[in-house]
Amino acid sequence: MPHLIAISGPSGSGKTTWISQFLKHQSTPQYYVCPGLGDLSVDLAHIGYRFPWVQVVPEAQLTAILADLPEQATVYLEWGFHLDLGSPFLAELPWERVAVLPPDLAESDWHGWSDRIVTGNPVAAPANGYLPEIWCTPLNGQVFDPPSLEALLLEVSGGAYGQVGRMKGIFELPDGRAFHVDFVEGLPGMAYTELAIPRWLEGRPDRFSGIEVVGYGLEREAIAQTLLDSTLSDAALAQYQQHYQSLDPAEEALFV
Amino acid sequence: MKLAVISCIHGNYEALDAVLCDIDNQKAEQIYCLGDLVGYGPYPNAVVEMIRSLDIPTCQGCWDEDIVEGLNACECSYPSQLAEKRGHLAHEWTNRVIHPEVREYLASLPMTLRQDNLCFVHGSPNSQHEYLLPTMDGFAALERVLAAEADVLFCGHTHVPYLRELENGTLSVRVQQPGQGETQRQFTAPLKRIVNAGSVGEPRHGRPNATYVLYDTDTTQVTLREVPYDYKKTCAAILEQGLPPIFAWRLERGMEFAERAEDAGHVCER
Repeated sequence: MPHLIAISGPSGSGKTTWISQFLKHQSTPQYYVCPGLGDLSVDLAHIGYRFPWVQVVPEAQLTAILADLPEQATVYLEWGFHLDLGSPFLAELPWERVAVLPPDLAESDWHGWSDRIVTGNPVAAPANGYLPEIWCTPLNGQVFDPPSLEALLLEVSGGAYGQVGRMKGIFELPDGRAFHVDFVEGLPGMAYTELAIPRWLEGRPDRFSGIEVVGYGLEREAIAQTLLDSTLSDAALAQYQQHYQSLDPAEEALFV
Repeated sequence: MKLAVISCIHGNYEALDAVLCDIDNQKAEQIYCLGDLVGYGPYPNAVVEMIRSLDIPTCQGCWDEDIVEGLNACECSYPSQLAEKRGHLAHEWTNRVIHPEVREYLASLPMTLRQDNLCFVHGSPNSQHEYLLPTMDGFAALERVLAAEADVLFCGHTHVPYLRELENGTLSVRVQQPGQGETQRQFTAPLKRIVNAGSVGEPRHGRPNATYVLYDTDTTQVTLREVPYDYKKTCAAILEQGLPPIFAWRLERGMEFAERAEDAGHVCER
């Protein structure tokens, strides 16, 4: 019988990190589901890029996939903080319920909901049920000017466009590499991880990239404008790609 | 004689006012200004009027030049595409609100000022756009001071104040001309100094406080001054004037916008 595990907890508590430790094993079929954001989920794309043997399930195919799982399958359902814990979807199937919670959180809806609790990051849980907003946008095909991207990530995470508790994204750079960026308020620094996917040096990348911001009072239009102002024009991208294509590996190492 | 050297005010009247009060308290007898009176900040006209009314000798900064000549700084002067777009917004706004007599005044500013063995420039003796960063190669830095024919070169433009002493500068020159033997000569440069005044109106040192320097011509002592001021007033004015709100956010955190070439030796070729 397939093993179904639903994981929930506050934004930034470490749900995806907890799940990722199990996805490294390739012995049995594994599925990852992250409903709530349609096809715009950064986590869904990130898991797909990082663990290509894991079947990431788009929201639209969820019901069909769950109805036809192999016996040995394990399904990890990441149930975002913004989704209803009392959803009929969770009640219909025998999910093992895991709550990834900050160490200081003594009482919450997750405590009553979960079968077991895993200690996660020391993030602040939403106060009095006042949930933060989520803003996300795909950035497919957009390639960023690296110093502009650095500035915008610093500004967004620093609160220039609203009080941000969480930011994650996948961004394309002109040298063909793509990076996963992860920021959690209260944790030191920002994690940048290069994705182990082929370099894209021919035109605009035809693969998922995007950003997801969680916080209060988000100035969505201003964030979107800053993102746009930081992306490269066709001409600039072509110039970069021509340059990187002409580099031999030894020279390239100097630019990385 | 105690001199005060200020730079990079960038239309921040509140900061200028606080610095002038501090200079007064420090009993400086002469003030020099290294330019960039306008750009990014909400009070370009008031800043220029204040500098003019006090008759402060001022050299022309890159922003002052661009307001006179039209925006033509080369794109590689900006640290990022985002900074360049924001720089253009600031330029367009400043260009729209600046008074004709202020523009005329900015056009009249000299590139260089001198007092005895002291030279005052905005960026470097080569260009208002060149950065004399504290990490600049020692030989190149010494060359800039020697080119200015000064013992102390005062500059701004980087928005981070510093004092750099160039000691024991020994230059070896080997010359071989056709038909003649090789000659080698050595020159030893006396102690030279580069003093960067930082920024009054748009600091880049991680705090909103204004910076400037004091220089005692008798003792050659350099004092870097950091002056708190009511930066929130400037931030409010940035919003009121319709400048991009991100300018206020960055000002509050001591993260200025001014262009900053990655290559310190870069000279804008416009």
